[in-house]
Amino acid sequence: MMGRPTGTGALGRRALLKSSTAALALAALVGRRTHAADTPWADRPATKVDRLNFVVWTYGDIYTKISKKFVDDWGAPVEATISSFNDHPTKLMTMYAGGETVDVSQSSPFSFPNFITQGLVEPLDGLPGADEYKNDFTESSKQVAMVDGKLMGLPYFSTVWVWNYYTDLMEKAQFEPFKTYDELLEQCRKAKKDGLCDYPIQWVAGVGLEQLPGTWYQLTWNRGGVFFDKAGNHQLGPGSIARETLKWWIQTFTEQLVDPESLKVQFTTSAKAFCAGKNIYRGPNHHYGLNIINDPAQSPIAGKVKVIGSPGDGKTIGATSVYFLCSANRDKEWAWKLLQYLGGRTKDGAYTQANNLARDAMLGSGYASVMKSAAITEGWKPWGEPEKILEIWNKAIYVGEMCNSIYKPWHFPWSDRINIEVQKALTGQITADQCCDTLIAAIKEVQKS
Amino acid sequence: MLRHVDRGDQGSAEKLSALEADHESGGAVPAAPKRRGRAELSPGKLGVVMNLPTLAVLALVLAYPIGYAAYLSFHKVTPAELRRGVFPSVGLGNYQRILSDPLFLLALKNTLVFTAVTVVVELALAIAIALLIGQRQVWTSRVTRFLILLPYAVPPIANGLIWSFMYNFDFGFLNRLLFSAGLISRPINWIGDPNTALFALTVPYIWRTLPFAVLLVHAALQGINLELYEAASVDGAGAFRRFRHITLPLLVPILVVILVLRTSFAFVVFEEVLAITQGGPGDATWVAVWYSYKRSFAPPFDVGIGAASAYILALIIGALALAYVTIIYRRIE
Repeated sequence: MMGRPTGTGALGRRALLKSSTAALALAALVGRRTHAADTPWADRPATKVDRLNFVVWTYGDIYTKISKKFVDDWGAPVEATISSFNDHPTKLMTMYAGGETVDVSQSSPFSFPNFITQGLVEPLDGLPGADEYKNDFTESSKQVAMVDGKLMGLPYFSTVWVWNYYTDLMEKAQFEPFKTYDELLEQCRKAKKDGLCDYPIQWVAGVGLEQLPGTWYQLTWNRGGVFFDKAGNHQLGPGSIARETLKWWIQTFTEQLVDPESLKVQFTTSAKAFCAGKNIYRGPNHHYGLNIINDPAQSPIAGKVKVIGSPGDGKTIGATSVYFLCSANRDKEWAWKLLQYLGGRTKDGAYTQANNLARDAMLGSGYASVMKSAAITEGWKPWGEPEKILEIWNKAIYVGEMCNSIYKPWHFPWSDRINIEVQKALTGQITADQCCDTLIAAIKEVQKS
Repeated sequence: MLRHVDRGDQGSAEKLSALEADHESGGAVPAAPKRRGRAELSPGKLGVVMNLPTLAVLALVLAYPIGYAAYLSFHKVTPAELRRGVFPSVGLGNYQRILSDPLFLLALKNTLVFTAVTVVVELALAIAIALLIGQRQVWTSRVTRFLILLPYAVPPIANGLIWSFMYNFDFGFLNRLLFSAGLISRPINWIGDPNTALFALTVPYIWRTLPFAVLLVHAALQGINLELYEAASVDGAGAFRRFRHITLPLLVPILVVILVLRTSFAFVVFEEVLAITQGGPGDATWVAVWYSYKRSFAPPFDVGIGAASAYILALIIGALALAYVTIIYRRIE
């Protein structure tokens, strides 16, 4: 029996059907893969979980909103453990030590190296979509989230350190925003002498990882100094810019130009205290305090507080906090999904949380695309001047560049010493030289321990 | 004795006294019927058996944690080790580190000052207030008796926050009150000044814990026989002499109890420090428990160091309690 003609150019019906089916299947597979690679945040993990959880510090009602969105999108309930900023490391670490499950948590840049050292943080490299996030990171985000070449977290928010001034008192005193530190002192002395206000400056110098140390970092960096050089050698010795800066800072206390509450206030309490309208200047700190000071619902001087950059070339510092995937998670795929809701994209591909934080809380983002978006340029307008703040933003470095001990696990206990010794110096118990000498000695102690 | 008394006789003091007298004089006591096959426990053994449940509970909730903390104090313990459950031994390393840490020594010094001030002031105030509210002829003493207890119901951390507001430099009630009374011309930075911060902490602490001491003294005062005062008055003793020679000596046992308890509690003051000063300004209000807390629960979360420092503190408190009891009771005897 002769078979059907199967010449080279001919294709039988059965063969045609087979190859078409195969081609379609292949196309479908490829298509699916391509789709998945494009929008990994939209894919449901293959595993199942009955719930997820995160451990964070409090910030308005942002977590209620994003948790609800997660549940609506994926059906998995989310439990939140929320504490105050200062209590967060303690809460998180006790849960971790106690063997509890924690899927996602967050960290300030100052605690992050310690969390990593304790084995609490899971690297994100290789997870679907991780590379795309990296490509959209701002420089500050890279500095915090990338550790030894590994992606260890996604950005929560970014900030820049700015000065604030109260326009009513400035107008009464007929001052222009200061351009040098000498001019600042002159203005404060005059305002005090004229009885315009008792304490012209309010510093954010309360005990904390960022508050008091951050103010010293910022003032030092603006004057051209660093705390550690690239090789990790401290720069606090005699004649150093950090030491001289501290002497100048102490002077503001000695001359009683400083609101005594300065040594107690944290960022939010400082903003609330400034709302009383009894200080002219509020020392450098996170830009987002304006969302309290210029909010008519919270402040009697709303709309009358403006930002200025720092003297000289305007150099300042900034920081980025991160969310991270906990090594104590219940399911890595789902924890990654939740992590993206907090620090990345939601199912629709939008940076929902970052956009909300900009519009609701005046926070900056660790993503370049968000920083250029209307969420920032329009979203910040109710409280301040976005252009002015972004102009200052462009002159900022990540704080770790001028104080690279931040990348070390011993930075945290050393910060404790900074808080103690600098407060002693600011209250006249020791001199700036004694303070710096003690801090130099403390570096070795904390490194050893 | 009570086991041998008929149910119908229970509560009859005369009968009991008679039985006791009979027993002491060697008289015959009706014997309890012997049970077959089961010997009755001796009073000593019965006491041990009756105490066993309490001992077991105490061992579980007190001895085990205390023993475990001792174990931790000789090891390197961070959250990572706690999670793994493996603790490398460091011998006496933690204790050596603490005892060579100037901050711990300063915290101990601050604790001693804090304790001395609060205990002395509390004792004096407790006696004075208890004497005042014990005046039955003054009807307001009943109201005062109730009001004096209120601070004891305030949670310590809430108490700290209340006083934090009171001490506020600009808007605090205390400065406003003193200013209105013409006692100060400029506000005082109570908790921001290293010279006043530690003493500023003692006030809210005393305010919160004083009612406990008042209650004990007040209860002890009720137990003093009024006839003693009447007799002393007849002999011409004035109020001060009655207090000096009757009230005070009879209060000594309860004062020792207060001394021991208040000293141990003041040594572990924490909540007021947390809520009001957080150890600041500088290290002006670092106390021993704050040190243990910071070492254990702030990075690098060195629980071993925290446990060792807590142990040193416990030893000091134990020694002080022992000294109080030994010295004062010896004087009483």
